[in-house]
Amino acid sequence: MLKMMDVKKVFRTDTVETHALRDFNLTVDEGDFVAVTGPSGSGKTTFLNIAGLLETFDGGQYQLDGMDVSHLNDKQRSQLRNEKIGFIFQSFNLIPDLDLFDNVDVPLRYRGFSSAERRRRIEQSLELVGLANRMKHLPAQLSGGQQQRVAIARALAGEPRFLLADEPTGNLDSKMAQSVMELLQEINRNGTTIVMVTHDSELAQQAKRNIYVRDGKVSELHSVADLAAAASA
Amino acid sequence: MSASNLEIGPIFRALMRNKVGAILIAIQIAITMTIIVNSVFIIVERSQKMTRESGIDEANTFHIGSSAFAPNFNHQVSIEQDLALLRALPGVVDAIQINAVPISGSGWSMSLQTQAGAEYDGIGSAIYMVDENGLNALDLELIAGEAFVASDIRWRQRGQTDWPEQAIITKAFAEKLFPDSEWASVAGKTIYINDNEPMIIKGIVDKLQAPWVGWDNVEHALLSPERLAFPTVRYLIRTEPGMRDKLMPEVEQALATSNKGRIVRGLRTSAEDRERSYRGDSAMIKILTTVMIILTVVTALGIVGLASFSVNRRKKQIGTRRALGASQGAILRYFMLENFLISSVGVAFGAALTVGLNVVLVNAFSLSAIDWFYIPIGMITLWLVGQLAVYGPAKKAANIAPAIATRTV
Repeated sequence: MLKMMDVKKVFRTDTVETHALRDFNLTVDEGDFVAVTGPSGSGKTTFLNIAGLLETFDGGQYQLDGMDVSHLNDKQRSQLRNEKIGFIFQSFNLIPDLDLFDNVDVPLRYRGFSSAERRRRIEQSLELVGLANRMKHLPAQLSGGQQQRVAIARALAGEPRFLLADEPTGNLDSKMAQSVMELLQEINRNGTTIVMVTHDSELAQQAKRNIYVRDGKVSELHSVADLAAAASA
Repeated sequence: MSASNLEIGPIFRALMRNKVGAILIAIQIAITMTIIVNSVFIIVERSQKMTRESGIDEANTFHIGSSAFAPNFNHQVSIEQDLALLRALPGVVDAIQINAVPISGSGWSMSLQTQAGAEYDGIGSAIYMVDENGLNALDLELIAGEAFVASDIRWRQRGQTDWPEQAIITKAFAEKLFPDSEWASVAGKTIYINDNEPMIIKGIVDKLQAPWVGWDNVEHALLSPERLAFPTVRYLIRTEPGMRDKLMPEVEQALATSNKGRIVRGLRTSAEDRERSYRGDSAMIKILTTVMIILTVVTALGIVGLASFSVNRRKKQIGTRRALGASQGAILRYFMLENFLISSVGVAFGAALTVGLNVVLVNAFSLSAIDWFYIPIGMITLWLVGQLAVYGPAKKAANIAPAIATRTV
């Protein structure tokens, strides 16, 4: 599903060169649920941006669903993002001036679906997250947990094969966080591959697989003890 | 890209939830359109007025005044000598004494009617008193009837109020006097001046404007076959092409030296008359053009400002859209479309305001009603101004990186 080989990413200013990812190697199989943990500044978000085709990289190879994405232009990357990847953001990133229906509709319009098809998918995905009766509400009228559920509905409406979640519970209390986590697990059980960046080791433990990023490199964690050790390192 | 994917509905709904800025810009667009369309209409009207032909050979015509001051000055002899002198000058096509000069701003007018009697209404016309050389000096084309001959010409003394028995009038005046007749058949008919004095229309000329360019009857002119034995007279001189400027000082000098009992003054070309007569219109066009340019620039800057503010405020939202699959083109389209919708509201209000202002102008200043096609042209212009103004900020928005969506600050 996702294969990164020796991926490098360097951020440059006039005076400073920061190696965000160094020989980053990771393979994520279809149907996997990978939790990515690591300290702040370790390269987790850079990895997520590159995995989600939000950013380019400076070296190595990245294959998404068997396709080498190194040489895609901006339009092709946008299309691939739209068709194959769903995003869940820490701050939900809902558009405040649009109601829930129109928020979920955003990626579907870029996909070019017909009006009827879009409506079917929006209703289905809002139903899945339990907010079908709030379609005409604005994001500001919902709680944080509900907003994140809308963001998940938006990510799922296009039926992506690959879901990228950036600290999806970072702005939620523990009860809401657990509820969102359970929803993600259900989505994964239905066949969607998920990569989740998180600081929360308890939530990370609920993923099928854990990797730890430090100084732009990956360490595979195999047990709860590994995870705890990594978190306390 | 199908119409349903153009995001018209969501953009409109989003604007309705956050409408203050959009409404202000729409109002600005409406006001700008109202002023621009009415200004363009006035400018076109004034320009058309300014380019009307006077009927005379303006490029090669000038005039000069002569005022006698010597005691026992013989006006008739002096005028005959002056005309002989002027007509003999090399480069002069013809010269006449005339009571008023077309489009000069001052002259004589009388009311003419087709039936005798004070109970009948007359129609105003400019009066030009000329001799048998009048048509040639003024470069007029006789299109019906006959020109004056020397025997038709009489001398008008100061205080004399009666009129010659013949006249030549313009085609426009003939059509106005006899609306039910073919203009060519008007030659030979009788009209009345001073209520009861008959004048037979001897001929009809194609075109000759009155001295007053703003007058409703500017195309009405009557040539009366007479010279004026007045102490102050004016000569109109038509030259061969290109000779006017050379001849003007020569004529001034020749008249000044030929008779010391008068002074010559008021040397002026017909081109200067045109410039002076239309100075107000010309100034109005410049002012309106300046106002239009300033308004358009201010409106465009307003759109740029609102769009730039909107882009800066929505950077994360734009990044999120990009992350969700929007191409750069889709973001560009989004902002262009948003502006198009705002502009559409503005031009729709603008169309109504334009008509409203025009009604006010028509009632208050007797302007013509605006032609319908000015409205769609104005709408398209303002749409284009909006699209051009928003293009820069929209392009900036399209260049926002999708990675901004994952930034938490």
